[in-house]
Amino acid sequence: MPEEQTGVRVVRRHHLLVRFSHWLNVPILLGLILSGVSIYWASPVYQHTPDPRNGSVDPLADIGTWICAHVPGLHHYSSPPDWVYNHISLGPGMLAVALRLHWLSAYLFMLNGLVFVMGSVAGGGWRSLLPRRTDLRDATRMFWYYLGVPFAKLTHRTWLHKRFNTKYNALQRAAYFSVPVAGLLSILSGWAIHKPMQFYWLTWILGGYDKARIWHFWLMWFFVLFVVPHVILVLADGWDTLRSMIVGWSTRTERSEDN
Amino acid sequence: MNLEDKTSAVESDKTSSTEPVSSRKPASFFRERPPQEIEVAPQLSHRWTRRDLLLFGAGAVAAVAAGGALLPQATLKRLGIIHANKGWAGKEWLLNRSLRIDDDVAEALYSSNRLVPTYTRSQITPLRNNYNGATPDPSYIPEWRLTLDGLASGLSVSLNIRNFLGSFQVHEQITRLVCVEGWSAIAGWAGFRFDDLLRAYPPMSQAKWVRLESSVNLGPWGNPDPYYVSLDLSTARHQQTLLATHLNGKPLTVEHGAPLRLLAPVKLGLKNIKAITRITYTRDEPADYWAKRGYSRYDGI
Repeated sequence: MPEEQTGVRVVRRHHLLVRFSHWLNVPILLGLILSGVSIYWASPVYQHTPDPRNGSVDPLADIGTWICAHVPGLHHYSSPPDWVYNHISLGPGMLAVALRLHWLSAYLFMLNGLVFVMGSVAGGGWRSLLPRRTDLRDATRMFWYYLGVPFAKLTHRTWLHKRFNTKYNALQRAAYFSVPVAGLLSILSGWAIHKPMQFYWLTWILGGYDKARIWHFWLMWFFVLFVVPHVILVLADGWDTLRSMIVGWSTRTERSEDN
Repeated sequence: MNLEDKTSAVESDKTSSTEPVSSRKPASFFRERPPQEIEVAPQLSHRWTRRDLLLFGAGAVAAVAAGGALLPQATLKRLGIIHANKGWAGKEWLLNRSLRIDDDVAEALYSSNRLVPTYTRSQITPLRNNYNGATPDPSYIPEWRLTLDGLASGLSVSLNIRNFLGSFQVHEQITRLVCVEGWSAIAGWAGFRFDDLLRAYPPMSQAKWVRLESSVNLGPWGNPDPYYVSLDLSTARHQQTLLATHLNGKPLTVEHGAPLRLLAPVKLGLKNIKAITRITYTRDEPADYWAKRGYSRYDGI
């Protein structure tokens, strides 16, 4: 690269393939979750004894009924038991469509996982995700820091960010390391449900067919619970962090900053 | 940059960002590497360039449009995004294509030598009557006969249940039946191997498929609604594919497909047709009740 006075020095943060797979995850995970909840509707994992009034066995249907009875403006909702499913899935009674969309998204998700692995290896980024021996202590320190931020802001006190020599702080590392792990477990538990006879050993490892469904169900919630603070923290952290996942570099050449 | 040197990399790397800076000690393979500095034009670091905005905007719009268009018509209508059914030919093609790919994967995974897990008597769970419509009136049972077509002999054969009870060896197995909806049940079955029927009444030589039909099947309002499934001959020949006559030690009840039903534990429950009245061997893949309703055709699990 030619040396020019006008150039700005930045640091590389995310490999092109990592950025590519990161953004592709948005529509893919959305497709998986929307169709997945529709599939869940066909035979809910969590059931109670049939309600004598309406025969419902599904707590999610009960929540919908409760919401429509208590939230103003929803009293005339046409099918209260479907309210939750109508808002977090493709809708009830769409198993065939949901399965097709789920397979399409699932194969794309697996391909996208390969793209991520290739990008992590090509850019060397996988090393920044590995857990360290000191992570437990550092994560505790970061946790206290985040807890103190709102208080420090309110009282106009200085509240220094802990200094780190690494790309991510220990808390981030734990989160970003667990995402590919959860992705892998989602894929494995998905195959365990999808092909319980040909992959009977995989189903067995996960505790059997019914347990594998529970794994798959809660792994979905992991992604939901990850995405919410992930988006909030990125927006709170600022433009440079968000941009780095688009262009690949960051102007923060010091490593100790929050990112 | 492949050397472990956290402080000097940032400071001293003025000439090139790709060469090692200093070599105090070799980095462990797993050790995080120092950041790699590059140089960008200054205007890039301040704001979006027009090119970035166009590219990223176009990418985002394309992703939302393509992803959104893949959602079912009913969902889009409920969300108020569309008001009339606007078919998009590519969408059905893409979704059906992914279904076919998944079926091809299932077919590739299938091995006639691989047996499904079996269970003990104490692991048996209740099995629900999952007739899609109404349960048939049992009056068909006394006159029940099974017709075989597409045989090597070119003849049509009509069998009654005594033909089976007398001429085939009984096999028992306790296996799991898995429904496409996600629930499953472990049940003990007894019956004859489909393979034994294939040996006793060989299909025509070009046959690759079986069509199994139940003419007594009823729809939701008790209306006649014949049920039919397609089955590949390879699965029919699997040693755990039974033509079952007994469930948990008792003759099949009308709820579970008396007097003869298919039990193919390597397939989803919807292929396990009850009260079979006709078996036809065919060269081409026959139609399938649920495949016509948007489900997959192979259904191997």
